[in-house]
Amino acid sequence: MNIELDDLTRRFGKTYAVAGVTMEAGPGVFGLLGPNGAGKTSLLRMMATVLPPTSGRLQLLGRDPGSYGPRREIRRRLGYLPQNLGYYPGFTVVEFVEYFALLKDMPPGQVPRAVARAVEQVGLGDKARAKLRTLSGGMLRRAGIAQAIVNDPELLLLDEPTAGLDPEQRVSFRAMLRGLGEHATVVVSTHLVEDVGAACSQVSLMDAGKIVFHGTPAELVARGEGSGAAGDAPLERGYSAALAAAR
Amino acid sequence: MTAAVQDPAAGAAPAPVARGRRSVLRLARLYSASRRIPVALALLAALGLLLWSALNWRWSIAGGPAAQDFISLTVEAGAASVIAVSTHGPFGEVERATGRWLPYLRAGAAVALTAIAFGALAAAATGGSLPGGSLALLRNLAGLAGLGLLGAAALGGAFGWTGPLAYLLVTEVALSGHPTTPWIWAARPPHDLGGALCAAGVLVAGVVAVTVFGTRDSGRRPAPE
Repeated sequence: MNIELDDLTRRFGKTYAVAGVTMEAGPGVFGLLGPNGAGKTSLLRMMATVLPPTSGRLQLLGRDPGSYGPRREIRRRLGYLPQNLGYYPGFTVVEFVEYFALLKDMPPGQVPRAVARAVEQVGLGDKARAKLRTLSGGMLRRAGIAQAIVNDPELLLLDEPTAGLDPEQRVSFRAMLRGLGEHATVVVSTHLVEDVGAACSQVSLMDAGKIVFHGTPAELVARGEGSGAAGDAPLERGYSAALAAAR
Repeated sequence: MTAAVQDPAAGAAPAPVARGRRSVLRLARLYSASRRIPVALALLAALGLLLWSALNWRWSIAGGPAAQDFISLTVEAGAASVIAVSTHGPFGEVERATGRWLPYLRAGAAVALTAIAFGALAAAATGGSLPGGSLALLRNLAGLAGLGLLGAAALGGAFGWTGPLAYLLVTEVALSGHPTTPWIWAARPPHDLGGALCAAGVLVAGVVAVTVFGTRDSGRRPAPE
């Protein structure tokens, strides 16, 4: 298992952002759904080793990120795209991705090819030498995805990765996710249920810091059948029905 | 379409050690660019020029010790602010979720900029009558830079200037009286051990804080590396 969480909590003051989450995930694409404030981003930040848990057990890639040595090893094999990624506008796309490849301690001889491959995978090959300040929001998001996948991570954490992407880019991104999920654990936190339906093999639904549903997208769809829950698509109805049952 | 990336492995392949050294230098260059360190160097040079002008053209402010030290202390506080603000990075927590290099880059940049700032100001003071001489300059700059780095770790790199500015104001007020505490090191003679130890301690604390915790960003308290 690449991710093992046991009764994991994270508290900010008196508020529990994550209130006792237990889950396991191996290779595959794992969708994390939930309304605003459900705790998805806090959970993802703990898995990205940038936010220490308040209590509970967290194991990533078979290691405990609470200790320096294992955390360093996890970070070398991790890809992370936060919700709000900052950019240095003076970097070109290649420099931006190369910077993260070098930070992740990739073997120097592999860096140029890995950077080229990542930039190509997100469809920015023709913008490789463009300064980030000249790119649109969707292109910047794709550059952010490129830095997350440049080290061919075993654990890839993506927070709202398709925000700002146009429908064509979204379709190709989902295809890329399915490819990455063949050998890595990919966790995608999103509001867009269609991303989950198209790319994820497993889905968890969070509400008020807890996981209130875990299963396949088909099982989530089944939750909505005949429930009369609101939604325009079967997955949306399943989402609404699971949330309503939990509240 | 293929990404236009230069492959150093193409042609004559360098030895692994040389390639590793080159990649570390490349990483340092990209880190420096993202922290706008070339701009910081230009500002430090400008502050050196300002100090040289003040000393050689004998700018003076009438008054007691506070007035006499005002120009040099202000320049030193300016240099410390430049060092502290250069810790501000644009990438936030995604950068922290990477391998082992980031703490070394932070420490290297802070120490190197402090050394360069001292070199630039000491060169500018050559031949002039800097109050306390180079030893006082080194002590004052070290302490102010430490305060700036501590401020950057606690408040964020963009607010690194607050520590040196606050210290400048406190010192100027204190110099009007007769301070005895070594924490007002700028008021002590250049060879005073207590003042030097306080300033050095603050610098060490600042460098350690920035190295281990980085700078606070987006209102989030960083986790240790």
